[in-house]
Amino acid sequence: MNQSISKTLETEDRWIPSVCYMCNCGCQIRAHVVNGVVVKIEGNLDNPHNDIRLCAKGQAGIMSLYDPFRLKSPLKRTNPEKGIGVDPRWVEISWDEALDTLVERLKKIQAEDPRKLIVAGLDFNHVIAEPLFAGAFGTPNFWKGGADYFCGNAVHPVTFLTNGSFYSDPDFELCNYSIMMGIQTGFMVGHNSVTEALEMADARLRGMKLVVVDPIGTNGASKADEWLPIRPGTDAALVLSWVNVLLNELNIYDATFLKKYTNAPYLIGPEGYYVRDAETQKPLMWDEGKAKPYDASDLNDPALEGSYTVDGVEARPAFELFREHVKGYSPEKVSTITTIPTETIRRIAREFGEAARIGSKIVIHGRELPYRPAAIAWNKGSSHRHGMLMGLAIQSLNTVVGAMDVPGGQIGFNPKGPFWEPKVGPDGLMMPADMLLLVEPAYPARKVTPPQTVDLYQFLPVAPYAAPFIEDTMLDSQKFKLPYQPELFLNFDSNPLMSTSNPEKMAEVLLKIPFLVDFNSHITETDELADMVLPTAHYLERFSPFPNSPGAHLKPGLGVWYWTMSQSVVDSPPGVRSWPEVVLEMVYRMGMGSDFNIMVNTLLYLREPHTLDPNKQYTYEEIGEIWAKSRLGAEYNLQQFKEQGCIVSGPKKVEDVYDRVYIKPKIPLYYEYLKRAGEDVKRVTTELGIPWDTSDYQPIPDWKPCPSYENSQGGYDLYAVNYKLPFHTFSYTTQNPWLNELAEHHPYAYKVLVHSQVAKRKGIKDGDSVYVESIAGKVKGVAKVTECVHPEVVGIAGTFGNWATGRPIAKGKGVHFNTLLPSTPEHIDTVSAALDACPRVKIYKG
Amino acid sequence: MVLDLKRCIGCNACTIACKAENGTPPSVFWARVLEKEVGKYPLAKRIFLPTVCNHCKDAPCKEVCPTGATSQREDGIVIQDYDKCIGCRACMMACPYGVRFYWGKKEYYFKDGPTPYEEYAYQKFQVGTVMKCNFCYERVDKGLDPACVITCPTKARYFGDLNDPTSEVSRLIIDRRGFQLREELATDPSVYYIQ
Repeated sequence: MNQSISKTLETEDRWIPSVCYMCNCGCQIRAHVVNGVVVKIEGNLDNPHNDIRLCAKGQAGIMSLYDPFRLKSPLKRTNPEKGIGVDPRWVEISWDEALDTLVERLKKIQAEDPRKLIVAGLDFNHVIAEPLFAGAFGTPNFWKGGADYFCGNAVHPVTFLTNGSFYSDPDFELCNYSIMMGIQTGFMVGHNSVTEALEMADARLRGMKLVVVDPIGTNGASKADEWLPIRPGTDAALVLSWVNVLLNELNIYDATFLKKYTNAPYLIGPEGYYVRDAETQKPLMWDEGKAKPYDASDLNDPALEGSYTVDGVEARPAFELFREHVKGYSPEKVSTITTIPTETIRRIAREFGEAARIGSKIVIHGRELPYRPAAIAWNKGSSHRHGMLMGLAIQSLNTVVGAMDVPGGQIGFNPKGPFWEPKVGPDGLMMPADMLLLVEPAYPARKVTPPQTVDLYQFLPVAPYAAPFIEDTMLDSQKFKLPYQPELFLNFDSNPLMSTSNPEKMAEVLLKIPFLVDFNSHITETDELADMVLPTAHYLERFSPFPNSPGAHLKPGLGVWYWTMSQSVVDSPPGVRSWPEVVLEMVYRMGMGSDFNIMVNTLLYLREPHTLDPNKQYTYEEIGEIWAKSRLGAEYNLQQFKEQGCIVSGPKKVEDVYDRVYIKPKIPLYYEYLKRAGEDVKRVTTELGIPWDTSDYQPIPDWKPCPSYENSQGGYDLYAVNYKLPFHTFSYTTQNPWLNELAEHHPYAYKVLVHSQVAKRKGIKDGDSVYVESIAGKVKGVAKVTECVHPEVVGIAGTFGNWATGRPIAKGKGVHFNTLLPSTPEHIDTVSAALDACPRVKIYKG
Repeated sequence: MVLDLKRCIGCNACTIACKAENGTPPSVFWARVLEKEVGKYPLAKRIFLPTVCNHCKDAPCKEVCPTGATSQREDGIVIQDYDKCIGCRACMMACPYGVRFYWGKKEYYFKDGPTPYEEYAYQKFQVGTVMKCNFCYERVDKGLDPACVITCPTKARYFGDLNDPTSEVSRLIIDRRGFQLREELATDPSVYYIQ
C-alpha cells in the first residue's frame, strides 16, 4: 500500500469529554468523533454528576449539531418594515461588517447613556459573560427574558432565604416522604435531572412515599403513590392548611429546631415589627423571664408562645403569631379552594408530620444529626400572581417540622463548600455565600430607588429578576418615568417572542427599540424584528468555563466536590462563532478591556495572584484557566479539564451538606424584613406617583387568589396550565428532529389535554381540532381527551408552536401556551416578578 | 434483559440512545416506550412500557424467514442480515410484538439530505430490508451493555445472562416475579419485566 492511500484510510477515532447543553443541568458527556464527525454522545464514564447516564435530549445533541438549517453567515435586514410574518429580506454580510456596525452603535450609546443598551439572553453555560459585558459597558439592563417569566422567580429568593442557595431539592437518599408541588423533580426536569431521576427511583423503590400535587397527570404524577389534582394557583392554601393541621390540630412541630435555628422565638410588637433592644437594636427573645437579644450568650430556652411586656410594649414570639395566622386555613375551607377533599388534607398533613420523625437523630460519618426524612419541594408551579407568598408558605412546612438542610429534609444546592459558607446578615438571619449568587440575594432587601432599568427591578427589592415588567414599561415609559429610551437590544441565544407572554404584545415591546441584534443558531421568531442575526456555535463547538455552578447545577448531598469545563469537540462551520468569543472581541475593539477585566476579577471573585491584568487582552480559554487556578489552586490547568472533562477536588464534608446545624445564621419563619421592604417600595412609588401594589410584602404568607380564580366571565370557564415533558427544553430543542419525532409519536406532547367530562360537555372528541382562547390570545391544537388532568383545566406542554421559517422541524408543531398569557401588571407578582401562568380560557371546536 | 416498570418514568432516553447508537432512520424505533392511560379521574395515571426486540428463544420471525436473513446467535441474540433479507416482511407479520421495521425508502431527518451523522450511520443499512433491535451485539461482543441500558437515567434496565442462575437478571426475575410479554404465545422472550 503506498503512503498516500494509507493516509486516507487512517481514521480519527476519539472520545472527547465535554458538558451537555441541551438543557441547563450540565451533564458530563463524551463525544465519539470519527474522522471529524460526531457519531455518538453519551454520559462520560464514571463522572460524579450523571455517571454514564444521559437523557433523550442530551443524546440527541448530534442532530442539533448537524442541523442544516443552522445559520452559517451573519445576516442583515434589507426590508425596513418589521413585524410578525413580515420577511426581513435578509442578506448575508461579513463578520467584519456586522461587528463594525454593532461596535459603532455601541460606542455611540455608551457615550450618550449606556443604559440605552439592553443585554438579553439565557445561556446558562455563559451566564457570567452577559452580566460581565453589561457591567463593563455600564448598563444595568441585563434582561433575562429567555425563560425567566417562569424560571424560578418565586423560587430563588425563597431558597436563598431558607436554604442559603439558588435552589434546593429533597435529600432523596434519606427522605421517606416527599411532596412535589407542581414540579416533577426526579422525572427528568429540574436542576440536576439525570441525577435526580436515579435518586427518585431509588427512593421510590426503597419505599419513600411520593405525593404529587399537580393539575396535570404528568409523568411524575403517574409514578407517584398519590396524585392530588389541584385547582391551579391554590397551592399556598393547601400548604398553609397542612401547616395549620400540624400546629393547631396535631401539635406536631420541631420546637428545638425552631428555637435554635429560626427567628420563630423573636418577639414581635403590636405593629408587626421585631421588638428590639433599645441599645443594640438587636431583636429580642423571651428567655428565663426576661427579654434577651437573639444572640445572647446565656440563652436557655427561648419562648415560642405567650405574651410578654418589654419596655411597656406588648410582645409575642413570631411563632405564636404564625400559628394563629394559619388557623385561617381550615381543611374544610381549603377544600373548597383547592378541590382537594378535607379528609385528604388532614391525612397528608398527619403523614408528613409523622414521617418527619421529630426528635430523631441519625449518625452520618460519625456525626450525630437531626433526622427529618420528609420534604416538600416546588418550582415553576409558583408562577403566579402571588408566587412569592406561595414559595414562602411551602418552605414554612419544611421549617416547622425542622426538615431544612438536615438529613432527609429539603437541602440547598451546596450552600456551604470548601471555601464558601452562608454569612450572618442583619438581625442574625442568613445571607448566602457570594459565589452562589447567580442573581442578587433576597436578603437583606435592596434599597428601593426610582426606575433605572426597563424591568423596574428597582421596585422589586427582593426579587432575583423582574423581566415581565419590561412590557408595560416600554409601552408606557411616561407612566414609569424611565429617564431614557432604549436604543439597542442585544440578545444572546434566547427567543423572547416564544418564551415570554403573548408574542404580539412582546413584538410591540421590541418594536419600540430601534435596533435589535440577535446572536443565534437559527433564524427565530424574534428575528423577524431583528436588524442583524449573528450565527453562534453549537455547544459541541465551543468552550465554556464552569458551566456547573455549585448553587444551581452541581449535585447537592453527600459525595465529592467536582468541577467541569465544556470544550469544543469539533470545529464550527466557517462563518459560525462562539458568542462569548465575539463579545470578547467587541470588548477589546471598543477599548473596554480594562473595565471588563476588572469586572471579571470582581464578579468571579478571582483571588491574587490569579487575576486578570487590566491592561492585557485575554482569550476566553485564558480567562477560564485563570478562573480555575483562582478557584481550585495553581496546580490546576485547562489541559486537565480537556483530558478529563470533570475534576474531583475532594470529598464533601457532612457539615457542608447538612450545614443547618453547623452554621451561625438563622432562617426566617417570620418575614419581618419583607414588611419593611414593602414600605420602602410604597414610599418611593408614592413619591413618584406610580400606582404599585405592595400588599404582598407581609411577614407571614397567605394564599391569595390569582386574577383567574373564580373569574369565569365571558365564558372563560377553564384554566390553561403548562407542563413539562421529559424530552424537551423550552423552545430550545423543538428544532431537533429526533426529539420532534418523539413528540409526534407521543400521545400527549403536541396535544391539548381536555378532561373527559369537559369533552363530553362541549362535544369534543379525541383528535378533534380545537381552539383555546384567553383574553390575551387564541391558539389552535388537537384535543387529547384524558382522565389525567383536573376537570377545570386544559393542559398544554412545552414551549411549542414555533412559526419561524428558519426552524422548519419545529414550525407548526404543538401549541404555543404563552400566547394565552395576559401580562399586564395585575398578572405579575409584585414581590418576585413571577408571571401568572394560569390564565382563564375557553375551548371550542374549530 | 430485564426492564423494571417501577423504575421506568417514560422519559424516552432509551429511545434516543438507540437512535444515537445505531442511527436508525425516521419512523424506525428499535427501542421505544409505549404509553397508555389507566383508571378514572382522580385515580387515573399513565403507564409506561419500554420495548425492544424480545429476542425470543423460539423466535417466530426466524421460523418464517425464507432466506435465513434472521438468525439467532449462540447467546440468543436474534440478528438480521441485510444482505440476505429480501424485504418480504413475513417476519413482521410473524412477530407478535411489532418491533420489526421495514425501511422502504431512503429518508432523512432533514428532508433535503443526510447529515454527516446519518451518512455515517446509514452505511450499515439497506433500503428494502427489515431491521430490528440487535441488543447492540457489537457492544455486547466488546463486553459492553446495550446503549439503552447504560443510558437509562433511573437504571430501569438490566442486561445479563439468563442461563446463569446467579446473574443479576436471573435473580431479579426470581425475586421480583419477572414476566414476559404475551407469555401465552410461548415464544419465550429473553426480555422480562418486573414491577
